[in-house]
Amino acid sequence: MKPSIGKTQWNGLVVLLLVIVLLAASCKPASVSPPVSGPSEDFFAGLNLVVPSQYDPPIQMDSVITVDATVKFLGGNDIHNNVWTRAYEQQLGIKINYKWVVDASMYDQKLSLSVNSGEIPDMFMVSPAQLRLFHEAGLLADLTSVYEAEASAKTRDVLTQDPVSLQAGTIDGKLWGIPLTDAAVASAPMLWIRQDWMDRLGVGAPSSMADVLEISRLFTEQDPNGTGVNDTIGLCVTKSLWGAIANLQGFFNGYHAYPGIWYERDGELVYGSVQPEMRAALLALQEMYAKGQIDREFGVKDINQVSETIAQSKCGMAFGVWWIPYHPLNLSQQNDPYAFWTAYPIPSVDTTPAKSQYRSAIGAFLVVRNGYANPEALIRMVNFWADNILQSQDDDLRRVFLGDIDTPDVVLYKYTPVVVWEPNAIIDGGKKLREAIARKDPSSLDLEAQWRYRIIQAYFEQGTLEAWVEVATNGPNGSTSILEQIQEERGMLDRYFGAPSPAMAEKMPTLQTMEEVMITKIIMGDSIDMFDQFVQDWRRLGGAEIVKEVNLWADGNP
Amino acid sequence: MQKKSKQPLMRKSHLPLILLGAAMIGYGLLTAIVGSWLSNQAMRGLITAGAYRSQLMAFEQTAGLIAGFLFTVLFILCAIRSSGIVRAAFSIGTLASAGVLLTGRAENLLFKGMGLPTLGAGSVVAGAVTVLLFALPMTILFILLASGGQVPRGCRWLSLASIFIVLGTAFFPIYVTVLAFLLRPGDPAVGQMMEVSSQVIKLRFILPGLSLLFLALISERFSTKQLPAGSADNVIAKGELI
Repeated sequence: MKPSIGKTQWNGLVVLLLVIVLLAASCKPASVSPPVSGPSEDFFAGLNLVVPSQYDPPIQMDSVITVDATVKFLGGNDIHNNVWTRAYEQQLGIKINYKWVVDASMYDQKLSLSVNSGEIPDMFMVSPAQLRLFHEAGLLADLTSVYEAEASAKTRDVLTQDPVSLQAGTIDGKLWGIPLTDAAVASAPMLWIRQDWMDRLGVGAPSSMADVLEISRLFTEQDPNGTGVNDTIGLCVTKSLWGAIANLQGFFNGYHAYPGIWYERDGELVYGSVQPEMRAALLALQEMYAKGQIDREFGVKDINQVSETIAQSKCGMAFGVWWIPYHPLNLSQQNDPYAFWTAYPIPSVDTTPAKSQYRSAIGAFLVVRNGYANPEALIRMVNFWADNILQSQDDDLRRVFLGDIDTPDVVLYKYTPVVVWEPNAIIDGGKKLREAIARKDPSSLDLEAQWRYRIIQAYFEQGTLEAWVEVATNGPNGSTSILEQIQEERGMLDRYFGAPSPAMAEKMPTLQTMEEVMITKIIMGDSIDMFDQFVQDWRRLGGAEIVKEVNLWADGNP
Repeated sequence: MQKKSKQPLMRKSHLPLILLGAAMIGYGLLTAIVGSWLSNQAMRGLITAGAYRSQLMAFEQTAGLIAGFLFTVLFILCAIRSSGIVRAAFSIGTLASAGVLLTGRAENLLFKGMGLPTLGAGSVVAGAVTVLLFALPMTILFILLASGGQVPRGCRWLSLASIFIVLGTAFFPIYVTVLAFLLRPGDPAVGQMMEVSSQVIKLRFILPGLSLLFLALISERFSTKQLPAGSADNVIAKGELI
């Protein structure tokens, strides 16, 4: 008899087929977006752009710009013809012409050559030193009146959020350069600690530098990574001592010492590295090193090697800026899925709260050539950025001018030199995000912030531990909330934000090298008397002269 | 061809199956409520992220241990009280308890105990393993019930639907996590899916538990309908009922 397939078997087969179809469907990637082409005029027509006035007929503006290997273009676009050049021309009536385009590393040299040969662009970017130099040579247009007349409310807001930014572009009471602003407070150090190690050892949050030293001891001696081997250190430090990651300025700040910056003491500006508070901090570091709490070879380890130590779960504490969970602290999850770093404000050695030191973020200015017929065009371009990119919550508009998620390598704002960032954006953004998280309602957030919200939600509601980076930065009690405290009352801003003074330009590099050698040697066991000797040498070898110049500058920039 | 006679899922009493369904629902509800309460506390900044993690892990390990053992006992009871393909289904279902037992422990077991590489996605991998350990035996359980000729018709249709419920609640969150962190980070559409996913996760035990509970009720109803119809004589003769 020919074997027949029974109803039950058919049913089973159908069920199995359905399961296979379901599994196959679940493995299919999400819908693929169509390839993105370069934005055309149609994009501008559909956008709610804020453009109060337009040159008619259009004006010509010669400029210069940097383009490096990271700058990518969509098909048919290049640096001379892109969304920004088209927007300036069609929306503002400014035909921008880049006379030359170089890599950022060659910019200063090329600009000097251009200026020396008399080919000065109508609008260009300069460093603080160049601002002073070109101003003294009479090459720059006074922007005071055009700024007063043309700057939009948002532009004024952005340029005054950092109290020193406009001051930095002002010489002799007149505005010569529009500062390219960013978040100054973002460079302030805070204390990062492996939270999972603290939980494992039953340690609470540090409230003083004594607690920091005790946590460092426990992390070194109590095998917090559970390997059974004595392979951990308390504090990560790089050989460069300063910088954003595994730095020492945060540690010094805990002792009310502020190396490398200028601050006010007894009515005059003083240099932090030669102040007596440095002593106690150096002695504490020396003791930590002697007890194996700092890498014995820190003096030769750069940031890559320190990152490796972090990735191997061998280091439990680091002083660094607010964003270091994105890198390199994220690496610690390579070997331990439970790795979680938490940020703390810098603890104090005594009852006076410690302050985190930071510098003005003004590294460059936009200037206009003296004699250019339309200096106000620069202000209009800044307005265009501020009113549309910074002010607007329109995601379509941001996609057109900043870039699309489908082409993350194509960062459109790199096509224009007129880019100012809101100094308070990180703090405000973090605040809004935390409020949305507390309400469990992301509807008031822009697309980028909504995504951060989802990531934080994935940590708290789906157990996705890899999302800790976003939790540690923008989540409840995250590092951006500490930035807020630093900006309000727990920060120490470098009071010198001018171009390097003559003696500073000539002698500071040597003095800084002396300083770093002194600190490294003392930590590694040399006598603390070396610090006293350094202070004397520093004054003798040009420091005293620099102090005079800095205070002279401060008199003119109260 | 001889037509197989339909039989209830359980002999004598459906209590083990009812208890299994109820236990699964209870465990699902408890983990969802405690998890939501803790995440609310953490998201409002009332407890730190570290405290959230350690408290949640302590709860998950304890609840998982208790629930895992309870499920094992009830699955075994269900297997004892059933016969044929149904017994095979519940025997395989017993393996699903391993997924519950591993909740909160999988990371340590996989990456510290077995020394597997985390690939920078340790919790996702561990979560997927835990889910698979629960979902695959449950899927096989429902496939067997859906294809069992002796299983009452209503139970078979419900089992068929339950296959999709188990697979959907198990794999959708994993799929979304992979999309969000690896394939399409920043995509607003994935953001919406993440919102849905965080709710689907809460149903991972509740829905299969409900399925088992309804299976028990349908089967119970079937057995009470069968008895007055006289077909019970045949079954009683085989010594399979009462």
